[in-house]
Amino acid sequence: MARIVHYINQFFAGVGGEDQAGAGPVLLEGPAGPGRRLAELVAPEHEIVATVWCGDDVAADKVDEIVGLVRSVDPDLVVAGPAFTSGRYGLACARVVAAAHSVGVASVASMHEDNPGLDEAGAAAVVASGEVARRMAPSLERLAAGIQRLLAGETLTAEDGRIGAAARLTVVTDDNAATRAVDLALARLGGDSAATEIPLPRFDRVTPAAPVADASTVMLALVSEGGLVVADNPDGLESARATKWLRYPLEDRDALAAGDYMSVHGGFSTAWANEDPHRILPLDAARELEAEGAIGELLGEYFVTTGNGTSVANARRFGVEWAADLRRSGARAAILTAT
Amino acid sequence: MALTRLVHQVREVGFGQRTSFADGVLTVSADEARGVLADEALASVQLSWVSPGQSARIVKVLDAVEPRSKGPGGGGIFPGFVGPARPQGGGETHVLRGATVVTAGFLPRAQEALVDLSGPAAALSPLGATHNLVVEFTPAEGAPWERVDAALRRGALRLAAALAEASLDAAPDAVEELPSPSAGARGGDLPRIGVVTNLQTQGSFKDVFVYGRSFGAGLPTLLDPGELDDGAVVSGQFGHPALKNPTFMHQNHPVVDELRRRHGNDVEFAGLVICPEPVEQGAKELISLFAAKVCAAAGFDAAIVTKEGGGNADADVALKMDALVDLGIQPVGLYAEMAGADGTGPSVVVAPERATAMVSTGNYDHVLHLPEMEKAYGGEQFALVKAPAAASFEVPTAVVYCALSPLGWGRIAARSG
Repeated sequence: MARIVHYINQFFAGVGGEDQAGAGPVLLEGPAGPGRRLAELVAPEHEIVATVWCGDDVAADKVDEIVGLVRSVDPDLVVAGPAFTSGRYGLACARVVAAAHSVGVASVASMHEDNPGLDEAGAAAVVASGEVARRMAPSLERLAAGIQRLLAGETLTAEDGRIGAAARLTVVTDDNAATRAVDLALARLGGDSAATEIPLPRFDRVTPAAPVADASTVMLALVSEGGLVVADNPDGLESARATKWLRYPLEDRDALAAGDYMSVHGGFSTAWANEDPHRILPLDAARELEAEGAIGELLGEYFVTTGNGTSVANARRFGVEWAADLRRSGARAAILTAT
Repeated sequence: MALTRLVHQVREVGFGQRTSFADGVLTVSADEARGVLADEALASVQLSWVSPGQSARIVKVLDAVEPRSKGPGGGGIFPGFVGPARPQGGGETHVLRGATVVTAGFLPRAQEALVDLSGPAAALSPLGATHNLVVEFTPAEGAPWERVDAALRRGALRLAAALAEASLDAAPDAVEELPSPSAGARGGDLPRIGVVTNLQTQGSFKDVFVYGRSFGAGLPTLLDPGELDDGAVVSGQFGHPALKNPTFMHQNHPVVDELRRRHGNDVEFAGLVICPEPVEQGAKELISLFAAKVCAAAGFDAAIVTKEGGGNADADVALKMDALVDLGIQPVGLYAEMAGADGTGPSVVVAPERATAMVSTGNYDHVLHLPEMEKAYGGEQFALVKAPAAASFEVPTAVVYCALSPLGWGRIAARSG
């Protein structure tokens, strides 16, 4: 019998609504809420041994804590949702299954294909739910079928209601890419207008934040993907494919002297950046604006990474971490210098 | 213009008193080679043969060159560097197939590349299956890096020409008569397919040379494929190890090879167009429109579009594909995907808007587990993972030399699973 842990939010756990959105995470023994029906659907082969719930406002930031609770009962599989079209809940479900999957725990989430959390599930499987909670019963049936297949060692496909990006997996081909390119050109000229090896990508569209109403009262932050680090790069920021970001102090500093800072960015010649580091991080101009009172104050540190060949997943994580950090430190505007 | 390749297969290599080639054995005089490489920007050079099957790794790989010669003194090979800058691509060219001259070591802006001669990464690089004469170097004190780079480039090309010169009197293992495209003229009913090859031109250490000159300020032009054979295109581009096109790959351009092989069977080889690949968007747009115009003038029905470099260079392919569609020419783009280690990220940085036919050369971020090697060349450390160069470590496919070859050499792809 496989051991399953179910992740749900505070509402479906029966704890409360928005008033409890900041609570949790909490580990409960056995199934709860929609988990009771799900437990019936996967029995007798499998058992929901525990439920973890967390409030919608905090869950997406407490994924490590949630996954810690999940792993404390040593499950064979983690299931999250159904989250329908609920954005915060969907994001939490997606991040929980992504994190569990990345540490080797079989995982599946359930949400509607329009849920904004869908893209955050990484390589973990997501199966489609209905649009609203009224569709709970059929959504749970599909989820239960997916659980059975995953626990049988099979992979979920579109036939199982799987949604979201399919992973691009490396395969060895019989012919080299040059031969395949000529074959593809002939197929297209022969009238096969759909033939391709790469499906068209789907890009995020980010809605810019509203302008700051009165800059003279806000704390401004300087952040950059230009690879500007202190001399000799003691923290080892990568020149490409960054896996991390760094923070360096700006307090008591009015300028960035050449020689004290350097750019490690691998995507452009860094000669001009090293000659005058303000070309990457305009501390000189920011201090002038601060002195004039055009901005309220400058944050006492800057954040930096290298935006060269950096994976979208890492870049998204850096963005989430920067936004949360800036919000906590009181910054309400940021200048992101890009190269 | 017709070119004949006289191919000498190199089966065994070594060092000896004098440089010679006989019965598949290439012997190199290290003293002669050091003389050829001598330059005031280089304090010293060190030479090693590194061969397939050895427990060996080459790190900090810069350029690789296939030894070729057209006659005594090179006979015009590598025009603009070894021979005079005059059109080449006709007559006979001797090729030492199975051998390379490889430069390895630190240069600014060079992103760290590796080649394994055994283990799982050996099959991912063309240099995993060749006998490689590795040139390591110590720069002269105070020599500017640009001078060091130029000395290595000229030296490696001269050495490659000198090695091939040893084969001029040997009977070739194969004689390859290479058809030349007939630009603009339709020879029959077969579809006319050509190739558009972008050469990365982004300043020092990320530059490509045509007839000895940086192609940075150039416009797209037709080149006879035989000119590639004779070394008219030379790489000085050391970014993006898996996505670079060293001189060796231009000499053995896989799409050119394929179109030559199929010419008269199921395609008519319509021609080769080379294009610079600048950083600035306006220049990318001009060059893309111009390239499509050249393809139309040469009567292409379809064009295979190749790039060099990372995400920025996706834009050059995408813009050209759309420009070709607008002129009624079917484009196919060769794209390396950047889908993240788990394959779930958006895999193309810049996709075309109107064109949709793309071939995958694999996932840049796919993780490889490399075994420990007995010996490493090119440097003590592999800085990316801060490990001794010969150690066992995990790296993305992106660091393996030519593993995602934008010219179509590789036999890997990414598929939706």
